[in-house]
Amino acid sequence: MNHKMNPVVEQVLINIDKVMIGKREVAELSLVALLSGGHVLLEDVPGVGKTMMVRALAKSLGANFRRIQFTPDLLPSDVTGVSIYNPKEMAFEFRPGPIMGQIILADEINRTSPKTQSALLEGMEEKSVTIDGVTHQLGSPFFVMATQNPIEYEGTYPLPEAQLDRFLLKMRMGYPAGTEEIELLSRVQSALPIEEIQPVMELEQLRDMQAKVKEVYVDHSIKSYIVHMAEQTRNHKHVYLGVSPRGSIALMRAAQSYAFMHGRDFVRPDDVQYLASAVFSHRIILKSEAKFEGIKAEQVIEKIIDVTPVPVQKAVK
Amino acid sequence: MMKRFSTLVLYLFGFLLIWEWIRPLEQLTDTGNVWVFFLFLCIALSMDFLKWHWVIRFVINGAIIFFSLMYIYFLDQYGLIGSVPMMIQELVDNFLTMLQAQWTSITDMFRTLLFFILLWLMSYLIQYWLIQRRQIFIFFFMTLVYITVLDTFTPYNAEMAIIRTVVSGFLMMGILAFYRQLEKEEIETKTTKLSRWMIPLSGFVLISSLIAFAAPKADPIWPDPVPYITSFNEDSDNEEAGGIRKIGYGEDDSLLGGSFVPDDTLVFVAKTEDPHYWKAETKDVYTGKGWELSEEDRGSQFFVSGEEVPLESFSENENVAVEERVSNVQMNAARPQIVYPLGIKSFQSEGIPFELNEALEKFSIRYAEDSLMPTYDVIFNEPTFSVNALTAVNNDNHGLDSAFYERYTQLPEELPDRVRELAEEIVAGHDNWFNQIREIEGYFARSGFVYSQTDVAVPGPDEDYVDQFLFETKLGYCDNFSTAMIVLARSAGIPTRWVKGFTEGERINGNGYGVGTYNITNNNAHSWVEAYFPGVGWIPFEPTTGFSNPVEYEFDLDEETTPNNAEETETPERVERPEEAEPTEQTETASSTFSLTKLWDSVMEAVRQHWKKIVSIIIALAFIGCLTYIKRGRWLPYFYIWTYKHRNKDQDFEKAYLVLLHELARFGMKRKQGQTLHSFAKEVDYALGHQQMSQLTASYEAYLYSSRQEKGIWKRNKELWENLIKATIA
Repeated sequence: MNHKMNPVVEQVLINIDKVMIGKREVAELSLVALLSGGHVLLEDVPGVGKTMMVRALAKSLGANFRRIQFTPDLLPSDVTGVSIYNPKEMAFEFRPGPIMGQIILADEINRTSPKTQSALLEGMEEKSVTIDGVTHQLGSPFFVMATQNPIEYEGTYPLPEAQLDRFLLKMRMGYPAGTEEIELLSRVQSALPIEEIQPVMELEQLRDMQAKVKEVYVDHSIKSYIVHMAEQTRNHKHVYLGVSPRGSIALMRAAQSYAFMHGRDFVRPDDVQYLASAVFSHRIILKSEAKFEGIKAEQVIEKIIDVTPVPVQKAVK
Repeated sequence: MMKRFSTLVLYLFGFLLIWEWIRPLEQLTDTGNVWVFFLFLCIALSMDFLKWHWVIRFVINGAIIFFSLMYIYFLDQYGLIGSVPMMIQELVDNFLTMLQAQWTSITDMFRTLLFFILLWLMSYLIQYWLIQRRQIFIFFFMTLVYITVLDTFTPYNAEMAIIRTVVSGFLMMGILAFYRQLEKEEIETKTTKLSRWMIPLSGFVLISSLIAFAAPKADPIWPDPVPYITSFNEDSDNEEAGGIRKIGYGEDDSLLGGSFVPDDTLVFVAKTEDPHYWKAETKDVYTGKGWELSEEDRGSQFFVSGEEVPLESFSENENVAVEERVSNVQMNAARPQIVYPLGIKSFQSEGIPFELNEALEKFSIRYAEDSLMPTYDVIFNEPTFSVNALTAVNNDNHGLDSAFYERYTQLPEELPDRVRELAEEIVAGHDNWFNQIREIEGYFARSGFVYSQTDVAVPGPDEDYVDQFLFETKLGYCDNFSTAMIVLARSAGIPTRWVKGFTEGERINGNGYGVGTYNITNNNAHSWVEAYFPGVGWIPFEPTTGFSNPVEYEFDLDEETTPNNAEETETPERVERPEEAEPTEQTETASSTFSLTKLWDSVMEAVRQHWKKIVSIIIALAFIGCLTYIKRGRWLPYFYIWTYKHRNKDQDFEKAYLVLLHELARFGMKRKQGQTLHSFAKEVDYALGHQQMSQLTASYEAYLYSSRQEKGIWKRNKELWENLIKATIA
């Protein structure tokens, strides 16, 4: 009864692995977000290969890829696009911004002003942008991978908590392990592997999969397990603000797509546990005492996973 | 080199262990020349150690056996050359005897040969245990059992043997454990490692042995059973008191107690009109362990047939009505001692001179060598005692000579006070000796004392024979009853003495009327009590339950004053047990007039009566419960397998799986609260070294978390489940 990885997903992961050595976990999580229609926040220092990964993902899917480099002087219209008066046509003509792509890398999102940030975040939530009274539907699929420098860095505008909620997952990439980095050097020595990546699936196929993910069965016991976990975050002694119901929904969706990726048509508690930290940790606000003690949100979530009883019996409905 | 050395040490200790088996032979059996076996063992084990070829070993061992046998049995008689054919002849003969299963006819020589073969096997076994199996515990344990049994039940003193065995046994086990580990882990031995193991091992064994040797040891809980065994070995004639004896008449009564086995050897045949007891001798001093005589032998009086015997049991006056009777005795064995009835007047026998040992009141025949089985008539007066005269006597008015009174009211100083208290309790309410002693006589039957020839206790060194019988065992035979009655009577101040002899025996002719012929066997050997009443004489009493000595009394007084209305002292068939009757009565009243309080009272009463039993039952149950609980690892998994054998519904999968989780937790693999089944299953599989838990868990997860419910999922997974449950059996 061992469930094999979904073959298409496996192909995508192999593609990403060509450019991103040893980051399968990050790649998997990104796919989880993609398949459940969510977005990813990567918190990491520059140069660890965030762009590479998103580009590899985009190429594997045959989707168009856009990149927005956020700078302090970037304007909302630089993100969404702008209507320009065309004297020939005697009319305003819409020039779509980078947000109109399908797979978007929003680099260093916390370096731009909150106004510009919210332009992106609104688009992520609504799947559409309204410019000059005209609503423009965003692409489908629409997947944003935002990166931010660790907030301790100088010259950043930290994302407001409410905005963070818009990201399905937050994860870290980290430096490659020593041997992996050597391997990376050898690979890029002659040619960039990213150029060699071929699409392994159609966009239509992706939409299909996104639909199938929603059908993955979540048992009542699993739902109550998720809710139980969310409740724990709300009552935890170190937590100032716990996970909202949107967080619970996010966890369920993520678990669904994770189960789907692993060839299962039902969610196991293992899926929930695996994703809980990535889904929840950016949705809770720790008390300042806890922060001072050096406690991390991830640690709190791990603790909560440990104490929340895993359902091992049929739930009595 | 070091390894050879330690193997040598192992062999040495192995030799010592076998040696412990042979050691006691010299003392306990008539085995001689034990050094031959010693030599044989030495050589056999040495050759084993040196790993000589088995053919060589076989030849040498055979040769040693052959020459040893020759040396022991034939060499002196037949010389070197002559012995061989004799030996072969005897071997063949014995072999044939053995085939015919005539074990007793096997000669010593052949037995020795068999013993050699046994030793040979033992030496092989030792080698097998030490070198192949690397285990010696069983042999060590058997040796200990052997030695301790011999120490307990035979005169063999195994004090040093136990020390030797324990030291060498533990050292051996230590060395072997080391080798087992080495072989299991496939480690090369190095000298240093070996000594690192051996030095602390020797240290531990020696120190613990020293401590054990020096430590104070508790006295055994049971009295030494050696007397039982030794006497069991010896003939009944040569009996030692306190052991299992053949029943019968013996002379030494200084140590009473112990069990009897029946012996129906005919002692004498009596022809008599009225059946009566036959006296043989009397004794007067109770030592706390048995009976002895107060005085030195006063010598014997001689008299001849027809002459009146110089012995008077009772006075011939108005208090005793007598009737002259004649009984005939034909002894069945060459016994100098002869038996006589109460009230003996004279013996009639042709030409046999008699003698009387006055101290013992014991008659015997002065033997001529040829008169082996004497026949004689006894003429005696059968008495009827006047109860009137008997009841006139009490502690204050007996008027007996103080020396005489003291002699027959003697008691050992160590006699526990509770015996005296019991005596006072029994006689309370009676003001004369006769009623008092009748009360004592009937006490045993009333109080549920049991007659038995087996399982009779022997008093320990600090115990009193009577005290033990009265308060602890309440089970015994005539000696117990008679001695106890005397001690009680003497405690009450009534002069009494102990009489030994035979009961009337079994009538072998006629219908019970007229002169009867009675067979008296050793089973009829008996002891009873005589009490002295001034003006009347010695009157017999029979305290032993199940026996009656027909003594006639003339009831010439008011009936009220006698305790028993019967004309004869009867066997206490009329046993009343007031103590035990009580609770039944109580329950009856409770049920007849039903009320809660009464029921409660009766329950409480029952609890009070039996609280010891109840408490011990509860303790026992609790103990069994605890044990069952502690050992549940051994049976609970089987129970679950059995329970789920016929439960095939898919809903049972859940229960069965939870049971498995529970059992795994008991086994030591507990799932943490927040741990998923999947990861737990991996842990379990890692620990158990297979994949079954993961397989089962995958099915269970599909059953639990997925929407589609496969039919028969439990049935398909049952085998996995059973295997896993079995894995939890401790």
